Amino acid sequence: MRPYLRAVTLPGEKRKERILEIERLHKVFHVNDGFQPVLEEISFRAEAGELICILGRSGCGKSTLLKIVAGFISPSSGKVLLKGKSVKMPGPDRCVIFQEDALFPWLTVAENIAFGLRGRGQDKKSKAEEVERFLGLVGLREFRDYLPGDLSGGMKQRVALARVLILKPEVLLMDEPFASLDAQSREEMQKLLLSLWRELGHTILFVTHDVYEAVILADKILLMSKNPGRIREEIRVDLPRPRSRDGSGFHHFCRKLYEAIRD
Amino acid sequence: MSENKDKRNRGGAWRFLPWFIPSLFLILWIVVSAGGLIPTYLLPHPRDIAETGYAYVFGKLGGGPYAGRFLSDAGSSLLRVGCGFAVAVAVGLPLGILSGRLSVVQRLTSTTVNALRAVPGITWLPLAMVWFGIGMKTTVFLVALASFFPIFLNAAAGARQVDPLLLQAGAMMGVKRLRGTFAILIPGAMPHLMTGLRLGLGISWAYLVLGELTGVPNGLGAVIMDARMLGRIDMIVVGIIIIAVIGRLTDQLLQGGMRFCFKSARRMV
Repeated sequence: MRPYLRAVTLPGEKRKERILEIERLHKVFHVNDGFQPVLEEISFRAEAGELICILGRSGCGKSTLLKIVAGFISPSSGKVLLKGKSVKMPGPDRCVIFQEDALFPWLTVAENIAFGLRGRGQDKKSKAEEVERFLGLVGLREFRDYLPGDLSGGMKQRVALARVLILKPEVLLMDEPFASLDAQSREEMQKLLLSLWRELGHTILFVTHDVYEAVILADKILLMSKNPGRIREEIRVDLPRPRSRDGSGFHHFCRKLYEAIRD
Repeated sequence: MSENKDKRNRGGAWRFLPWFIPSLFLILWIVVSAGGLIPTYLLPHPRDIAETGYAYVFGKLGGGPYAGRFLSDAGSSLLRVGCGFAVAVAVGLPLGILSGRLSVVQRLTSTTVNALRAVPGITWLPLAMVWFGIGMKTTVFLVALASFFPIFLNAAAGARQVDPLLLQAGAMMGVKRLRGTFAILIPGAMPHLMTGLRLGLGISWAYLVLGELTGVPNGLGAVIMDARMLGRIDMIVVGIIIIAVIGRLTDQLLQGGMRFCFKSARRMV
């Protein structure tokens, strides 16, 4: 096939573009004179608009993998390609939602959301409109002038979502973002994430240890094993959306995954 | 924040609370003086203090040995404190923040700073007098030297304890180093920076008086020393009270100024 033909999109077909490619990533930590391999031979790719869950038990290196993709730590070998370009430093094209609260406690909700827009050469009015729009998207209009210290855990993560989505990142990296929330808020946040994803169509890499969460969210699940962390299986989740926790298909899928994760 | 909530809906008693201890002290003083328990050459009656203080602050120049000197004394003392403190801030704050963040700077400075810190400030006085003579320069030197340490050490501690997660969050949102320093590091370290500045300013007044005790013609410390030699204990007490009042006012001015300039000082301190 000649190269220019590849870009042609057929009518009705979803445009599939490789956004993120992870190529043969290895990571070794130095632990008192010794070496501890943490990640081994990690390769996968994400297409535009895909929601990928990285599922594994604690200590399997899934957070380390995410930090490498984010550019916070560098791999021992291997590459992270974003739209074909190797990336090494953190940047607004790969935004992160952390597990812990990482909002700026001296800024209000609205100021936190506007933070990344500073220095982007956008005029004041359109910035304010953007902030307003994303405040609305995460349902925090009435809380715009609150400080993070006065918000619940779920609300903080909404602000964290809004402040990175406003930057229109290519990839959203989420590191067990809902793990510290209570069950009800976690479910709410999953719903919110899915509706934002449907509306804005981001590519998402979502790290979790929760099988149910992975099955509710993912197009594709990367199942990781421990010591050293490898991708053991790549599982497509072909359950129709919107997914419900009550369907028998859902439970069947979860049970299969549980068994896979146990051995 | 919850602190702000506490500040609301408090009655008159709440407003009076800061004045409770000074009032108690004053009443006790009046009782002791009126009862003649302590001779006036050791502790004058508050009424005499008030008269001397009034003459010092509002009296006409030449109306008495100290009458009307307040403005020029306070002016020159404030200038000395201001200069010394400004030097300490200009050097201590950036150096402290750098030392809190960069292990190279930390290693480079910590031995020297902590060794110098162990030297009592008063030890520098003879040396400073030889170097700078009597007056402005010596005082500014002492003030700057003494207030440098709390400013530097607190800035370093503040910069060190800023949550690395906040800096990572900034980096992933595309914040470069320089902007990160002003938009994340300084606000994140603000409570410590504030503490350092307030301690530094407080100690500035202590070393101001030390610098002025050496025979300069004007300044609040000079007046106190002069009064001691003339046996005017009432004037000494007036000087102490005036330094306490001005010290408190400049502290509040510093806090107010910081709150006015920085959101983080307004919301986190």
